[in-house]
Amino acid sequence: MKRFLVSVLVIISVLMTATGCAQKANPSTEETTITLAAAASLKNCFEDALIPLFIEKNPEITVQATYDSSGKLQAQIEEGADVDVFFSAGMKQMSALIERGIVDEASVLELLDNEVVLIKGVGAENAVYSFESIGNAETIAIGDPESVPAGQYAREVLTALGLFDSNAEKFSLGTNVTEVLNWVAEGSADVGIVYATDAASTDKVEIVAKAPEGSVGSIIYPVGMVAQTNHEVASKAFLAFLASEDALKIFEAYGFVVNASK
Amino acid sequence: MGLMIDIKKQYKDFTLEVNFDNRGSRLGILGASGSGKSMLLKCLAGIITPDEGKIILNGRPLFDSVQGINVKPQKRKIGYLFQNYALFPHMTVAENIGIGLPKADKDQMAKILKIMDRFHLTALSEKYPRQISGGQQQRVALARCMILEPEILLLDEPFSALDDHLKDHLQKEVMDYLSDFNGDVVLVSHSRDEIYRMSDSLMVMEHGKSSFMGTTHEAFKSPKYKYVAKLTGCKNFSDLEDDGTFYFAKSWGLQYPKTQFLDVPKYLGIRAHDFIVHHELSEMPSNRFLRGKVLRTVEDIFELTFYIKPLHPSVSEDAEVVFKIAKSKWENRKIPDALILEIPLEHLIPLYA
Amino acid sequence: MSFSPILISLKTASLAILITFILGIFTAYIVVSIKSKGLKMVIDGILTMPLVLPPTVIGFMLLAIFGVNRPIGRLLLDFLGVKIVFSWTATVIAAIVISFPLMYRAARGAFEQVDETLIMAARTIGLNEWKIFWKIMMPLALPGVLSGGILSFARGLGEFGATAMIAGNIAGKTQTLPMAIYSEVAAGNMETARGYVWVVLTLSFFVVVSMNYFSVKRFDKSKSNASERLMEGEEWA
Repeated sequence: MKRFLVSVLVIISVLMTATGCAQKANPSTEETTITLAAAASLKNCFEDALIPLFIEKNPEITVQATYDSSGKLQAQIEEGADVDVFFSAGMKQMSALIERGIVDEASVLELLDNEVVLIKGVGAENAVYSFESIGNAETIAIGDPESVPAGQYAREVLTALGLFDSNAEKFSLGTNVTEVLNWVAEGSADVGIVYATDAASTDKVEIVAKAPEGSVGSIIYPVGMVAQTNHEVASKAFLAFLASEDALKIFEAYGFVVNASK
Repeated sequence: MGLMIDIKKQYKDFTLEVNFDNRGSRLGILGASGSGKSMLLKCLAGIITPDEGKIILNGRPLFDSVQGINVKPQKRKIGYLFQNYALFPHMTVAENIGIGLPKADKDQMAKILKIMDRFHLTALSEKYPRQISGGQQQRVALARCMILEPEILLLDEPFSALDDHLKDHLQKEVMDYLSDFNGDVVLVSHSRDEIYRMSDSLMVMEHGKSSFMGTTHEAFKSPKYKYVAKLTGCKNFSDLEDDGTFYFAKSWGLQYPKTQFLDVPKYLGIRAHDFIVHHELSEMPSNRFLRGKVLRTVEDIFELTFYIKPLHPSVSEDAEVVFKIAKSKWENRKIPDALILEIPLEHLIPLYA
Repeated sequence: MSFSPILISLKTASLAILITFILGIFTAYIVVSIKSKGLKMVIDGILTMPLVLPPTVIGFMLLAIFGVNRPIGRLLLDFLGVKIVFSWTATVIAAIVISFPLMYRAARGAFEQVDETLIMAARTIGLNEWKIFWKIMMPLALPGVLSGGILSFARGLGEFGATAMIAGNIAGKTQTLPMAIYSEVAAGNMETARGYVWVVLTLSFFVVVSMNYFSVKRFDKSKSNASERLMEGEEWA
């Protein structure tokens, strides 16, 4: 019995080291896997369209993606998470990583713009018809301004309109934009502030108003390569793909605005 | 008045079927472990419900499957002394005794004190069950039953949990306490001695089925059935073969004229203590003397037990006779290779099934 | 570091434990009295579910009940003007659902530990079921029930996943301690987060110590006190 157990353990350890080795050995002509960390608002267009398209064109490269709030992803990358390409929903997080030398400055593309919108659930009965009348809502869902870019922008807009402090008690702070969107879609929160791309992703919410001109700075979605990457070639190929005509068309289809000044 | 019971309850691999009519005496129920004795008591108390039948106590129906009567245990006026006493560990002796008294009872304190005095528990009234001895716990449990003036008392193996040297003491004590009790008593035990000492009528249980045996002493003396004889401690049995004018006891190699018996027995039994041992060969009328080889002996504190193989040629290979004798009577003799045992006719037990 | 999340968490956990305590004991007693083994198993399984389900699944199910776009939530809103989601009440509901199985199982275990013959004896001496519950069952099961209660309280205090889904994260209203910690960490405010974490650690430690205290108490009581037993035979007056 003892011998049986020992042999099982040996076999398992051998298998584990074998697979481990297989993953480390990484000649550029064989299967490569790159890891993409992207803001939550990018999830749909990457998963549904961009990644499949990229893989089709580059079958020897696999893309593993993780989506969350840019602030959280930034923290994870700083802690050494094994990420190759970072696509943030705001310049703040990207700049922080550039400053620390974690992201290769030269690789960074300020690819997309997004818009900030006020939404309510479809069929919701409340007297909010514009940003100005947001005070009529009982609860307002926004991203946490401390950690979620969409939350920062929400605060910017409301502050510019003089509506932030007066409604402070009504804010439910989401840990990422998708959570905010779901709160409004479920009708739990009366209204919410998200990106245009989020609003476009579900038919359970309707856009009440777009952030007025000048109330919020341009929302740039930059993408860049992590300096310490083991897969420089593949990562650069991915970045090139994202800047390509095909990719940009897809971004637009999902509600993004291509950054004209790129 | 008495207790009348006729019930049936089906379990997976066991059927409880009990039927007796006891008129105001101390009923002893003798049976091995697993024979259903405790189950019977629980049916009487109302803790278990039989499938069908009826239970009538002093003319009052407690259970009747036909009429749909099933009185709750709380209302049956039955005192139940559990084998483990079931004293409430978080209450003192006095609290244990008094908790069953209805709140409205104005003489609560007086009643409790009186019964504690009667059972010699006054000094222990503030103690907890874990602080008193087994015998004392039993008295508390008994007091707890009796203070409610039950119509019948059920004792479930009351002395099994106690040390040997205490049993005598306690049996006498309990008999004393019960002497004032006017209701019926049903005592359940696997110990012959307990049953013999404490009950006047006997019921035997085996595999869930009951058989009423009449008075206890008679039942022990003339068991009539082999399984009853066994339960009452008889260890030697022999099948009988019909030899014309004789019966031949196959296990012993002995012959008995048919005229000796009033009816037709199937077996004969003889208790281990009833043999008379002879140390010299004398005039041996063959049908009463059994000659056997001593296979082994067991020495207890006060008696010797011999396991003997009868030497008669027509006795089967594995036949064994058990003979017990008090050491004082054995007079310290050496253990011989063979013994001659006489079976006195008056101790021969004819058995009919 | 604001005290608001601490206060909200304490308020929520306190009200939750009050309700869970009673509910847990009540259901445990009922389940213990069920005669049919099969039925017992099924009901026990259902009541234990929140213990093994991920909090997000529980949040999902609670949303399906109380969400304003769902039948029951809609009913509550239209007829009683009550909106459960995003209210402080929702935090309490989430805490109750999450911590209930712990209370229920502890109470059930404690009840089943009580010697059955004690209950049988209690019936034969005339105590009705209510009296049996209060005077026999509860006192004997108390240590187990209390440690269950304490554990339940702690679990309610630590609830996170389901709460976010139905109560939102409204500072001063529904932002509980765990959510505050998460937000502060996400925002990079490690100092503040650390402060909250210390509060949680202290409370949890206190919880574990109290639980051990009660378990020891139970052990002591059931041991027969050999040194105080009188010698057999001495007491024959």
